[in-house]
Amino acid sequence: MTHKLTGDQVLQVDTLARVEGEGAMRVVVRDGEVTDVELRIYEPPRFFEAFLRGRAWTEPPDITARICGICPVAYQMSSCLAIETACGVTVPEEIRLMRRLLYCGEWLESHALHIFFLHAPDFLGYPSAIEMARDHREIVERGLRLKKAGNALMTLVGGRAVHPVNVRVGGFYRLPTRTELTALRPALQRGLDEAMQTVELVAGFDFPDMQQPYEYLSLRSAHGYPLESGSVVTTSGIAFPVAEFEQHVTEEHVSRSNALHAGLHGSPYVVGPLARYALCSDQLSPVAREAARTAGLGPECRNPFRSIVVRAVELVHAFDEALRIIDGWQGAPAPAVPVPASAGEGHGATEAPRGLLYHRYRIDDDGKILEAQIIPPTSQNQAGIEADLRSFVQPRLHLSHDELTRQCEQAIRNYDPCISCATHFLDLRVVRS
Amino acid sequence: MTGARAATSTLVVGLGSRDRGDDAVGPEVAARVGELLGNNGGPRVLEHEDPAALLEAWAGADLAVVVDAVRTGGEPGAVVVLEAGQGTEPLTQEPWAGPARGGTHAFGLAAAIELARALDRLPRRLVVVGVEAACWETGTGLSEPVAAACPRAVAAVLEAVRAGGDR
Repeated sequence: MTHKLTGDQVLQVDTLARVEGEGAMRVVVRDGEVTDVELRIYEPPRFFEAFLRGRAWTEPPDITARICGICPVAYQMSSCLAIETACGVTVPEEIRLMRRLLYCGEWLESHALHIFFLHAPDFLGYPSAIEMARDHREIVERGLRLKKAGNALMTLVGGRAVHPVNVRVGGFYRLPTRTELTALRPALQRGLDEAMQTVELVAGFDFPDMQQPYEYLSLRSAHGYPLESGSVVTTSGIAFPVAEFEQHVTEEHVSRSNALHAGLHGSPYVVGPLARYALCSDQLSPVAREAARTAGLGPECRNPFRSIVVRAVELVHAFDEALRIIDGWQGAPAPAVPVPASAGEGHGATEAPRGLLYHRYRIDDDGKILEAQIIPPTSQNQAGIEADLRSFVQPRLHLSHDELTRQCEQAIRNYDPCISCATHFLDLRVVRS
Repeated sequence: MTGARAATSTLVVGLGSRDRGDDAVGPEVAARVGELLGNNGGPRVLEHEDPAALLEAWAGADLAVVVDAVRTGGEPGAVVVLEAGQGTEPLTQEPWAGPARGGTHAFGLAAAIELARALDRLPRRLVVVGVEAACWETGTGLSEPVAAACPRAVAAVLEAVRAGGDR
């Protein structure tokens, strides 16, 4: 018996404006047991890898920023690192700090959007933030204010709030002045206070019981909680430099999905807030650590539904970190350093809001890109999402299709995947035999 | 309507990405409107890719005109004009309705409008000018029928601006 719960809407969303993908899920049940779960997603980076070939070494930050309207800074930062590594250049400390500040802006925008507008309605029992706003106006207004603070930071440092235009290989086109940075302080300070209230709010939600057994993987950096730099660590104690990423992580094509499935030595693993928190919570700012403690998060959190709490803690950290960088900013001799083309290969990884984003480029002496490889967080998490759903669906097979679909969408949204938009239209098919 | 009033309370927004085929129609139409009206005393004209930013962008405006690409199943290049400001019906049945119809990560134009309605943040008059799109492919320009529709979309925007914030 086949149930089709949400019609053929998935077929209609794959090419809609500014939609970043589609999601469909197929659950196979035999004799009352879930035997298979398939999540089908589409991701655009694959096309970008192809048309980066033949382009100039200076172009990836602008080209790859177009992959995602929510995490363009992640694409810019990982591509800059990879190109600079290939050319043998390390940017000065001031530029690293300004990149970290820009990245804070992206985390604020992305986490505020996800917490308040995409995920909180699931927990509070609303189909969307619109219905939630009618009963919880102050919560939604707070989300807008937090997102606006992130937008302001992105606009000042990145040149605009979406797809920043001020980033270049080697640094920036222009650095903000100390006066401009200081002007953001009041909004950031208020944001910090409201982020702490947000931790308290989301920590009080009801969470389904679930524990992930998988390995977690993130960057760990000498410069604090991982954002713009670091090397790779995992919860089983594996550690390696970013240059060895593809020796440990392999991607394979599965016929049901346009996104490649990544595995760590062939096994599922998870990137994102839960991984960062498990591996680097000791590097959170004191105020973020205290927020985590008050929220009841231990040294690690393995319930994916509580990822919303960890995201809120990361909001606190991003506000606090932005204030710290602004307060300590002493200016820089130049907004960028030269990065002359040099034949070679370079690797770069940074922590996008939804997890580690890896780039690799091979360029020739003239700076022409010969090969590009991009491994985004959602493709790394896809096996973990499927494994989550497998264990999640089994005890819920008695639910109505509408309710099962809603709960599966909520479980998928734990990952804030780049198919969030499409998962509202998740096409769930339960095949029973 | 006086020119001075338009200068302080009218906003035109071209919504969309210039890199995704016909999604560029919003920014393209807004740019043409900006050229025609000029910067001295005319409405504010913006381009934006993030529908969520509209809630801030139209704060204080009596009239906001938003131009966006839509897909309704109609003829590519068809221009649809919709009143969506204070006192209008929610966009529940419209092609751009629903929280996931467009917009990165589930926050589209309709979601922005309906969230603004729920928060009493809608402009007194909001006019949506939709252009039926044919192609959303990254890296391509406007399709022929949508490029041909731009003058009609510009005319629709100008008509809304001339009428002002009172319906």
